[in-house]
Amino acid sequence: MKKALAILMASAMALSLVACGGSSSSAPAASSAAAASSAASTAAKGDTYKVYLITMDQMDQHWVNMDKGCQKAASELGNVDYKWTAPDVKDDAKQIECINNAVADGADAILLAANGPDADVAALKEAQAAGVKIVYVDSPANLPAIKTFATNNEAAGKTAGDQLLKALTDKGVTSGKIGIINTNAATTSTVDRETGFRAAFKDSKFELLETQYSEGDAAKSKDIATNYIAQGCVGIFGTNEGSTVGTGNAIKEDGGDVIGVGFDKSDTILGLIKDGTLLCAMAQNPDKMGYEGIKAAVAALDGSDAGDGSTVDTGVTVLTKDNI
Amino acid sequence: MEKRNPFRKVMAVRGMGQVVTVSVGLVVLCIVFGILNPSFFSNKNVGNLLRQIAPTLIIGIGQSFVLITGNIDLSIGSVVGMSCMLSATMMTKGVNPWVAVLITLACCLAVGLINGELVARCKLPPFIATLGTMTIARGIAQIANNNYNTDSIGEGAETFRNFFYYGKILGLYNTIWIAVVLWLIFNFLLSRTRTGRHIYAIGSNLEASKLSGVNIIRTTNNAYLVSAICACAVGLIICATSGMGTMDAGNSYEMYAVAASVIGGVSTLGGQGILLGTVIGASIWGVLQNGLQFAGAPVAIRNIVIGIIVVVSVLMDVVLRGGKPRRTAKDKTAPAKAAS
Repeated sequence: MKKALAILMASAMALSLVACGGSSSSAPAASSAAAASSAASTAAKGDTYKVYLITMDQMDQHWVNMDKGCQKAASELGNVDYKWTAPDVKDDAKQIECINNAVADGADAILLAANGPDADVAALKEAQAAGVKIVYVDSPANLPAIKTFATNNEAAGKTAGDQLLKALTDKGVTSGKIGIINTNAATTSTVDRETGFRAAFKDSKFELLETQYSEGDAAKSKDIATNYIAQGCVGIFGTNEGSTVGTGNAIKEDGGDVIGVGFDKSDTILGLIKDGTLLCAMAQNPDKMGYEGIKAAVAALDGSDAGDGSTVDTGVTVLTKDNI
Repeated sequence: MEKRNPFRKVMAVRGMGQVVTVSVGLVVLCIVFGILNPSFFSNKNVGNLLRQIAPTLIIGIGQSFVLITGNIDLSIGSVVGMSCMLSATMMTKGVNPWVAVLITLACCLAVGLINGELVARCKLPPFIATLGTMTIARGIAQIANNNYNTDSIGEGAETFRNFFYYGKILGLYNTIWIAVVLWLIFNFLLSRTRTGRHIYAIGSNLEASKLSGVNIIRTTNNAYLVSAICACAVGLIICATSGMGTMDAGNSYEMYAVAASVIGGVSTLGGQGILLGTVIGASIWGVLQNGLQFAGAPVAIRNIVIGIIVVVSVLMDVVLRGGKPRRTAKDKTAPAKAAS
C-alpha cells in the first residue's frame, strides 16, 4: 500500500515536472510564432531595426495595451522588426534571461519595463556594450538610457486631488474630512500618488485623515471606506484598482453625497463611474509609453535623436462619466 | 455541581474563564474608542462594525474547530480566495448565482476533505499539509479566470450580492445573520453532539480517544470540513461585497482566524476552547480595526496593538492556569458534559 502510494507520488511529481517543462517551452514558441508573423507584416525594406519590448509579464492588460502602442508605432515607421517578450511570471532572473536572449537574437534596441531598479543592471550593461540601445517604458532601472517613458505618479495623484477639490468646491463644500485608501507603505507608485494627492489639498481647509492600507483588497477597502463614511468624510481617494472599487461600493451602498476618486481602468470601475457613484478615475497610458518608446528607439538608431536620458511623463487620462 | 448558583454554573464551562476576561477587555476597548471619537457609537457605525466582525467570526469558527482537534488549517485564507474567484468567474460567465454557490461549496468541501485525509489518514503534520493545500487553493483562485481578477459579476447577481452582504433583515445586515446562523449550527454541533465531544477528545488526547474507539479520521475530516464551509461562506461574502472576484481575496485570513480563536481562549494545543470565545475574539479584532481607524491611529500602531493583544491574551490564559500541565482527556471530557 505504502509502496504503491510512493510510486504514485513519484509519478505525479515527474508528471508535474514534465508539465512545467512543457509550458515554459511552449511560451517562447508561441511568442516567436507571433514575432514571425509581425516580422512578415513589417516586411523589410532597406534599413530594418530589430526592436524588442520586454515587460514584467504578458498577462496584465497594462502590458497588452503597451504592446498595442508599440505595434502601432512599428507599423507607422515600417522599418521596425518588432517583438514582444516577457517572463511567464514576474521574476527578476527570468527577465534577465529575456534581455540576454534578445541581445543574442541581434536586437538593435530594447524597450524595457524593469522589474526592479537594480536586478537588470548588469545584463543591461552587457547589452549596451554589445551596441544595443535601451529605452525604459513604465519603470526604469538604475542605468542611464536613451529615454524613459513612464507615468509621473505624483503628478497623477495631484490631478486626482484637483478633480476632487474642484467637485467639492462646485458643490459648495469647502471643509471636511477626506479619507485615503492606499495599498501599503512599500509600493512606490501608489505612495507617490498619495503624496501628489495630499499636495493638491495643501492650501485648502480640508482635513486629510490618516491613510489606511488595504493591500489593494477590494473587500478590505470597502470596509475602510465605509468606516470613513461613518466618520463623516466628504471625499475618499483610492490609489489603485482594488481600493477604488472598494471606495465605489461603499459610496454606492451609503447612497449619500460622498465623492470618490480613484485610479486604474477596469470593467468594474468603469461601471461605478457610469452610474455616477465615482466621480472619476485616473488611467495610465501604457499604449503611449509603447508608441513613444518605439519612436525614441528608432530615432536613436537612425541617428536623428541620440536621446538625453530624460524621463517623459506619459500622463494620465481622467476617466469621467462623459468620456467613457 | 447542579446545586451551585448560576454564575458558578456558567463558569464551570471549560474555557469560560478566559471568555469572561477578554469580554471585559472588549468592553473597555469600546468605551475607550467611544471617548476618543463619539461617532464610534453612532447607529451607522454599530451596524457597520458588526458586519465587519462577521467574516472574521465565520473563519474563526472554522479555525476553532480545527484548533480544538489539535491541528491547524493554514489553507483557510486561500480557500476564501478560491471561493471568491470560482463563484465570481462562474457568475461572469452567466451561470445562475445559486448554482455557482453550490458548485463553489462543493469545491471548497473537497479541499477540506483533502486536508482531513492528509492529516488524519496520511499522518502529515497539519502545518505542512495545509501549507500545501493553501498554495494549491491560491493557485486555483488564480487560474480560475486565467490569472485575472474577474469583471463585474453583473446585474443578474444583484440578489446574490444583497443576500450575502448588502441586504438587511430586521435592521441588521445579512452578513451578520449568516454569521449568527452558522454560529448557532456549529456551536450546537460542538457542544451538544457526539461529534463535538469527539472533536474535543482527539484534541485532548489522541491515543486515549483512539483506544476508546473514536474514529480519528472521520472526526478530523469533520473539523476540516467545517473549516472549509466557513471559508467558502466568507469567500462568497467577499465576492458579494466587491461585486467582482479578486485573486488575492482572503490573503492572510488564516492568521486572522487563528487570532480570533486564540484571543477567545481556544488553545492551539487542542482540546480546549468554546465558540463563544471566538465571538469575543473576532469582536476584539473587528473593534480594533474599526476603532483605531476612527481614532486616526497609523496602521503601524494598529498592527503593534493587535500583536500585543494576541500575545497578552494567551499569556493571561497561561498565567490564570498557573502553569499547570494540561489536564488529561478524562478530566477534560467531564466538564464538557456538565456544560451540555
